[in-house]
Amino acid sequence: MTPRILVGAAAGLVLLFLLAPILAILPLSFSASDILRLPPEGWSLRWYAALLSSERWLLAARNSLLVAGATTLLGTVLGTLAALGLHFGRFPGRGAVLALLAAPVVTPSIVTAAALFLAYSAVGLAGTFVGLVLAHTVISVPFVVLAVLASLRSFDPALLRAAASLGAPPAAAFRRVVLPLIAPGVAAGAVFAFATSFDEFILTLFLAGPGQFTLPRQIYAAVRDVWDPTICAAAVLLFLASMLLLLASEALRRRGGGIG
Amino acid sequence: MSAPLVLFRRVAKSYDGRTQAVAPLDLAVAEGEFLTLLGPSGSGKTTTLMMLAGFEEPSSGEILLEGKVITRVPPHRRGIGVVFQNYALFPHMSVAENLAFPLEMRRLPRAEREARIARALAMVRMEGLADRRPAQLSGGQQQRVALARALIFSPRLVLMDEPLGALDRQLREQLQLEIKALHARLGVTILYVTHDQGEALTMSDRIAVFRTGRVEQLGTPREIYDRPATAFVAGFIGENNLIPVEVLGQEGAFARCRLPGGAEVLAAAAHPPGPALLVLRPERILLGGDLPNRLFATVRNAVFLGDQTRLVVALGETTLTVKLPHRAGEHAVAPGERIALGFAPDAALLLPAEEGR
Amino acid sequence: MRRGGLPAFLLVLPLLALLVLSFVLPVGRMLWTAVADTELADTLPDTAAVLRGWNGEGLPPEEAFAHLVRELDTALAERRLGLLAQRLNFEQPGMRALLLRTARAAENLRDAPRERLIALDARWGEAETWRLLRSAAGPVTALYLLRAVDLRRDPAGGVAPVAEEEAIYRTLFLRTLGIAALVTAICVVLAYPVAATLAALPARLAAWGLVLVLVPFWTSVLVRTTAWFVLLQREGPLNAAAIALGLIEHPLPMIGTRFAVVLAMVHVLLPFAILPAYAVMRRLDPSLAKAAASLGAGAWARFWRVHLPLSFPGVAAGGAMVFLLAVGYYITPALVGGPRDQMVASFIAFFISQTPNWGMAAALSLLLLAMTGAAALLARALIPGFGRRA
Repeated sequence: MTPRILVGAAAGLVLLFLLAPILAILPLSFSASDILRLPPEGWSLRWYAALLSSERWLLAARNSLLVAGATTLLGTVLGTLAALGLHFGRFPGRGAVLALLAAPVVTPSIVTAAALFLAYSAVGLAGTFVGLVLAHTVISVPFVVLAVLASLRSFDPALLRAAASLGAPPAAAFRRVVLPLIAPGVAAGAVFAFATSFDEFILTLFLAGPGQFTLPRQIYAAVRDVWDPTICAAAVLLFLASMLLLLASEALRRRGGGIG
Repeated sequence: MSAPLVLFRRVAKSYDGRTQAVAPLDLAVAEGEFLTLLGPSGSGKTTTLMMLAGFEEPSSGEILLEGKVITRVPPHRRGIGVVFQNYALFPHMSVAENLAFPLEMRRLPRAEREARIARALAMVRMEGLADRRPAQLSGGQQQRVALARALIFSPRLVLMDEPLGALDRQLREQLQLEIKALHARLGVTILYVTHDQGEALTMSDRIAVFRTGRVEQLGTPREIYDRPATAFVAGFIGENNLIPVEVLGQEGAFARCRLPGGAEVLAAAAHPPGPALLVLRPERILLGGDLPNRLFATVRNAVFLGDQTRLVVALGETTLTVKLPHRAGEHAVAPGERIALGFAPDAALLLPAEEGR
Repeated sequence: MRRGGLPAFLLVLPLLALLVLSFVLPVGRMLWTAVADTELADTLPDTAAVLRGWNGEGLPPEEAFAHLVRELDTALAERRLGLLAQRLNFEQPGMRALLLRTARAAENLRDAPRERLIALDARWGEAETWRLLRSAAGPVTALYLLRAVDLRRDPAGGVAPVAEEEAIYRTLFLRTLGIAALVTAICVVLAYPVAATLAALPARLAAWGLVLVLVPFWTSVLVRTTAWFVLLQREGPLNAAAIALGLIEHPLPMIGTRFAVVLAMVHVLLPFAILPAYAVMRRLDPSLAKAAASLGAGAWARFWRVHLPLSFPGVAAGGAMVFLLAVGYYITPALVGGPRDQMVASFIAFFISQTPNWGMAAALSLLLLAMTGAAALLARALIPGFGRRA
């Protein structure tokens, strides 16, 4: 059927368009020369070497991991607790809380960044590690809540009654029955939170001081301020990290976690 | 009766303060008996069970177990086995782990646990499936595991909430027998909820018939079947004919009643003159003429069911259901035929005239 | 088993506290900044008090002059004059110089404030100057919001357009909406075949196809935009390929053009359009197309009358998401666009970091929020099922 082939071909072209730029960066990062030409004029690992021996880039990588790690920890704990409270509880304003959770996601990042910069400057949190983690948590935690809520939705409430009828006090029932069953959801949320923080740029642009530059922030500085071909290598590494997270997320989805 | 195992004292439940899910209930459950709570959905039977299990709190009244008030005891301390409608097996645990769970909660040593698990598996004929996950079991197998899990910690009381509803008829009947056998063997007290009156009649020592939060009748299966106390019970259990009649007067032990359409019959009951409801089981109506109550009716419908023929006949404006035992070689009654029917006076019951069912 | 209110609420409380403290309050405060007018009241409190009681006719009472001189002097000594100077200068260029000059000469004006002020600069004898100060006495002002739509208060108290050279914001908003709309349209058109093809594939192949869409989705926006930045360089691969293919003779400047911005934004936002469309199309009943065919519908008719209407909620939801994201976008125009391609977000950033003007940053943010809010409400009204994400 011709239309189907045409549509399929169009789809293929679009997918190519989506993947090409990312894939093009790969060979460029191995280029031996400063000039970015495809195919590269020579092959070399010099940019990766430069990356790994550069103080700035290593610091950026360390900061990215630290901030994302702290954000994931904080976000997963707060988000899981909140999801449990929202699912099992009945209190006035439940709907409002859910709407409030969506707010950081639907607000344009620039507005959030501006607001937080203004507020943090007033209390001395601008340019601090803590401030950055708090900001990242605010935009990552909705995903944790969503993932855990999705997991809880497929949780059979009769299981809790069964556990109680078999003699399990609430704490034991939570530990032995609820937690194992929502673990994939919690993990999926954590992966998404980590990825969100790892890739986060706008908030970091305004809130990070020179000592807290993350990888995306450093890449931006490299593109905008001082042109540095190492950015291709940095971009590739950042891309590989994202792919690892994507794989983790897919693996979890097959085991029952996932967003929605 | 010796001290009941379970006592409901004026136990009532209302969710919104106005409608009563369960009207004040007084019910005593004897030790070792198989008591069924029977009724249509929304009649309060499941709510009553849940209050006993501790998953719902009564709005008023007290529940006693073994003489002790347990109304405010949390469910995990009541020591009552519960079998849920959808089995509620822990999906992330194997069959053996599911069975081990209550024993771990009671901190039984490992050797004891393993011995009990083996015995429980044997009891429900699930040996060899100990390491399977619930998702890998069939419906009937899951139900057996649920049963075993509820019994493995030797509770004195087991509650079952429509456990066989999701199974096909053959499996259901098979499991009914298995549950009855377990009951006989273990001597455990069972409180069973179902909407299937056939199931209730088969399995119970006593039946409590629920309707809109009230128990309309409490009695043995035979009592409920032969002597229904209300029109609802009469119509809910088995098939029944409910005929509005006019009681003309008493003749000794019999009441003379006039059917709509004019025919007069005798019922072995005492009832003041006036409107009443005549209750007559279809299988007590016989073909032929040498019984005190004779009626002539036209056959509207005849269905051959193998062991019996089910007729719907018209007596003037009244419709009756008749079940005739099948005898090979007999004439098959056909629609349109006019036949003679009869029934004994003691087959008929008189109930106060209600607004129908 | 629903537990009662309090323990459940306690579980939610920590997160709620974080969201309120680190999002709701800051955003609220910033939006308030769009209309708050505190510089004058903070720097020259007594002057402000007198001005607020003045009726605006002629010149203000004696004490206003006296307070002004005294407080300007103090403010300059304590180095607090900057904010006020900027605030007034924003409304009326030249005010900063006037204030500074007056503040430096303050000592000499103390004895006869009114005469000496007017002698120092004729503007102090003009009612307009004082009316300007009065309008800045607070507590609220429409200055920033008006300016953000190229309006200002005229001397008579009404609303008038700003000078031609200063009227940049309406164009800015129109440009932002235009770019967002263009990007959305392109994304929707491109997303359709991808979503349709993936939805028609058997489950396993579709899962792999979806991974191909998820790869760019999970890749950092910065990485993707950087990739385009590299590719679109003059000496970059794209130009080189075009020359090699004989399409052009000389390398085209692509960085810093509208083309680059639209291209990069489409690339970044396309997965957001594909995924919801795919989700809806996946759930379509395949027998519907077959039924249509059996009733005589050709390929176009099947698409137009059956597939498109049924998949509309998903496609439209994807489009709405793209639009909402595109309108507030910062990174891409900043990295690959030229000065004429900047969107609202760039200006907000400019007013925060380059030339701190919190009033304008806040006003623009407020308008941006209003735009996204209106778009979201519109989407909710028109697209069945939009907003019910979880």
